[in-house]
Amino acid sequence: MTPEQITLVQSSFRRLGPQLPAMATRFYQELFARDPALRPLFTTPLAQQEVKFADKLTEIVRAMPRLDELLTHTRALGARHAGYGVRAAHYQTLGDALLAALAAVLGDRFDAPTREAWALAYNLVAETMLEGAAAARPTGS
Amino acid sequence: MLAGVTVTLPRWPIVGRRAELEVFERTLGSGELAGLVIHGRAGVGKTRLADECRQQAAAAGHPTERVAGSRTTALVPLGAVAALLADGPGPDGQAGTVALFEQTRRALHDRHDGRRLVMVADDVSLLDAASLALVGYLAAQGTIFLVATVRTGEPVPDLVTSLWRDGRLERVDLEDLSRIHLDTLLHLALGGPLEVGAGREFWEATRGNPLYVRELVLGGLESGALVERSGVWHLEDRLPSTTRLLDLVGQRIGQLSAEARSVVELLALCQPLDLAYLEATTPIAVLELLERAGLVTIAVDCQEVRLAHPLHAKVVRAAMPRSRARAILLAQADRLQVATPVPGPVALRIAIWRLDAGGRPDPAVLIRGAHLARYAHDFRVVRQLIEAVPGDQLDAAGALLLGEALYELGVFDAADRILARGQQLPGSEHVALRLAVTRAKNAQWGLCQPDVALAINAAALAVITSSPLVEELVADEASVLTFSGHPGRALAVLDRLADGDQRTRVVRAIAAAPALAMTGRTAEAVSVAEAGHADHVALGDELAIAHPAMHLVNQAFALTEAGRLAEAEQLARAGTEIVAADRVPIAQIFFAVNLGRVATLQGRVATARRYYAEAAGVAQASHFAGPRRVALSGLALAHAMLGDAGAAAQALDERATGPAFGFRGPEQQLADAWTAIASRRPAEAAQRLRDAAAQAASTGHRTAESWLLHDLMRTSGQDTCARLRDLAGACDSPLMSARARHGAAARARDARELAGAADDFEALGAMLLAAEAAAGAAEAFRRDGDQRAATAAARRSSALAAACEGAVTPGLFHAAVAVPLSAREREIVMLAAAGMASKDIAERLYLSVRTVNNHLQHAYTKLGVSGRAGLAQAVGSPP
Repeated sequence: MTPEQITLVQSSFRRLGPQLPAMATRFYQELFARDPALRPLFTTPLAQQEVKFADKLTEIVRAMPRLDELLTHTRALGARHAGYGVRAAHYQTLGDALLAALAAVLGDRFDAPTREAWALAYNLVAETMLEGAAAARPTGS
Repeated sequence: MLAGVTVTLPRWPIVGRRAELEVFERTLGSGELAGLVIHGRAGVGKTRLADECRQQAAAAGHPTERVAGSRTTALVPLGAVAALLADGPGPDGQAGTVALFEQTRRALHDRHDGRRLVMVADDVSLLDAASLALVGYLAAQGTIFLVATVRTGEPVPDLVTSLWRDGRLERVDLEDLSRIHLDTLLHLALGGPLEVGAGREFWEATRGNPLYVRELVLGGLESGALVERSGVWHLEDRLPSTTRLLDLVGQRIGQLSAEARSVVELLALCQPLDLAYLEATTPIAVLELLERAGLVTIAVDCQEVRLAHPLHAKVVRAAMPRSRARAILLAQADRLQVATPVPGPVALRIAIWRLDAGGRPDPAVLIRGAHLARYAHDFRVVRQLIEAVPGDQLDAAGALLLGEALYELGVFDAADRILARGQQLPGSEHVALRLAVTRAKNAQWGLCQPDVALAINAAALAVITSSPLVEELVADEASVLTFSGHPGRALAVLDRLADGDQRTRVVRAIAAAPALAMTGRTAEAVSVAEAGHADHVALGDELAIAHPAMHLVNQAFALTEAGRLAEAEQLARAGTEIVAADRVPIAQIFFAVNLGRVATLQGRVATARRYYAEAAGVAQASHFAGPRRVALSGLALAHAMLGDAGAAAQALDERATGPAFGFRGPEQQLADAWTAIASRRPAEAAQRLRDAAAQAASTGHRTAESWLLHDLMRTSGQDTCARLRDLAGACDSPLMSARARHGAAARARDARELAGAADDFEALGAMLLAAEAAAGAAEAFRRDGDQRAATAAARRSSALAAACEGAVTPGLFHAAVAVPLSAREREIVMLAAAGMASKDIAERLYLSVRTVNNHLQHAYTKLGVSGRAGLAQAVGSPP
């Protein structure tokens, strides 16, 4: 990512403002539409889950410019998700759902450069979450 | 040097490989699979992924090990896995493969308290054959979980393909990184964002090849082209313009200090090395620098140092002067020799280095290595190692190993010389026996001199007196007799023999099964071959006995003689795969020959032609002149049955360039007879079939006699039914019984019996013979005036013939004519239909022109045609 792309992610995220909860709701709709089998992996009530998601996303976006700080969040988050049974293949779906939710809420403001910046940011987050997940999970028999 | 390094890379990040790592995790966790194979192009990250698997496994408490193939380790058997081998006395001439492998398996099992060892085999295609065999054995036994990497385009070792076929391997194919993954990789590797445009430049230079990215980043950090300012990475200079990864690596290594470079060179030749040793000889700062620059990796768990990527070793070795490499290798060999005077796995490494340096390793180590190579049937390496032993230090056991290797490599004259020399050297009675047996085998199969083989055997019997060695020599005498065409005498010799120990039983079975089959005791032959194989497998693969698969060859032959054609085919196919992996040309030839025989009997003549051609090709390449003769006989027969007289004659000419070979000698003459038939010389064909049948009768080869006499009946109409019946009665083969029924029915012109013979042949899968019998039935029905039955039988004959891949035999021709021509009339019609003038026919058959024309007139009347013009059409395509 370039510094400009990081800024773009942060500024577009700020622009969500009060629409952040709506984006979170939309994210889970998009997610379960893409893969209904993911639904049972979430045990907390969905409304509560949406709040947690919005909070985490805020933290991560804020940490984006400083890799050390970002890694602290994402690795721990990944380790926790591994425990929920989330696997590498799911991350593709999660990313698609996130971009779709952002596009739905931001409308025209989610232009091509913004979209590319988010795609790169999400991949960085996903890879480091997976790294944290792998470290947390003992392998094999 | 390292001007721009501000970030230390504890570990190069791994990106875009999480799905593959989960596959590893699942595969290892399943407990049922034997391993994971990682495929991909150079630099795509196979080594990195495999090492990551190893780390994950270690974190989960698995013991781990890493072996890597290389040009150097490939020189000496088990070179790549020397560290795994059980310490101890090591193998001697008596220990079998299974014993060594089993010893190693138990040692690993005990060392790790039964936990599965996760073994990374990097560039598995470069492992020597013995290492591959051991790794395959351990993986199959579940002692190790194999993580192997295979570079796209490299041959995939049989170990991998066979585990894969058994569904015991998982496979992942690595691709270069996507643009997005490249961006993430750079971000993680550098620890922060990259200025606008630089990411694109990396993408255009590397197209996502991870090794290329790694070399560019580390090179950029070193050269100062990549610098960090206020948390953002800048590319101050253009990326190197080279598009070749090797050049890039070369440039990086070229920039090292002399001290660092010599460490890299040492590792390129002798890796892995002990960290302690390197620390003692190299300033610690140099090692740190190399590790930071991503050129060497230090495994914390085993304190081993190696180069970070195989490509680095390759580049360094290519750039190193030969004299320098030699000096480094010899110095290391000396160092280790002093450090570890006890022979063991380390001795092998020393030998590797000395050989690679062009020096002379310890003969004892060479001989040990040759034994190891023998376990993997790697006879080229056996020869290479033993030939490096000075002549005056070679003992009888070494001569035996070399003689056997030369025999397997098809260098028969040299094999005889070294084995004869071995017989003069002091050695145990066991070794003396094996020298004699191997030398006799070489004389029989290689030199095609069965009389010499019998003489060698007799001479050995004069000096070897203890049991069970004597029994083995007697069994071998029988073997020479069996395989030189004297099954009756072979069985008589075997009757003298008590059951003996396991080895004797194995050798006995090799001689007995084919002899029993040839004399028509087919059921016994099948069970002897089966038991022989089981005994042989239990015994292990020992010196001076044929490969265990030869019992399967014998069993396939016995099944064929028993008329169990489909089973024979299935077994021979399975055997072909086994011996292709082990590189046993003699067995490859005979499986192909047996497949050709089965196809011939089934009437799949084009298929037969293909198998025989393959057998002849392998025989030619491996210098087995006798088996080549058998294969070329089959090839000529198949060509002739397809009506290609020219190709058949050519195969016979080719056959004539080799020595005579008595194994199934009478059957070989089917080729001559059928070539005569295809060349329209029926009288000659009949004579040859009669002579060959007489020869078969005199040697007790009943199955061949039956085949020959039946073919005589088929092609000339001669009455052989009494003898066919007697032979069928003396044997237990339904195929022979069907022939006898066919013969009797044809003689009696009994339509129903002919149809019955067709049923018998069809049930056995012998479609061509069934088609001919059905054609005979059609003719007989017509003569009996039963036109409906005649038409049905003729239709059936055509349907059966359709499965015969274009066979043209007189029996089918007979079907097309389907009228009672006399034998003489049929002969003349065949020639006339092929366009031959009456005068020429008369000359050929020693008849007057007038007689020929008379016969033709009669034939026209019977066929309902007015002259020659209608003849060809009436008889269909000529045979």
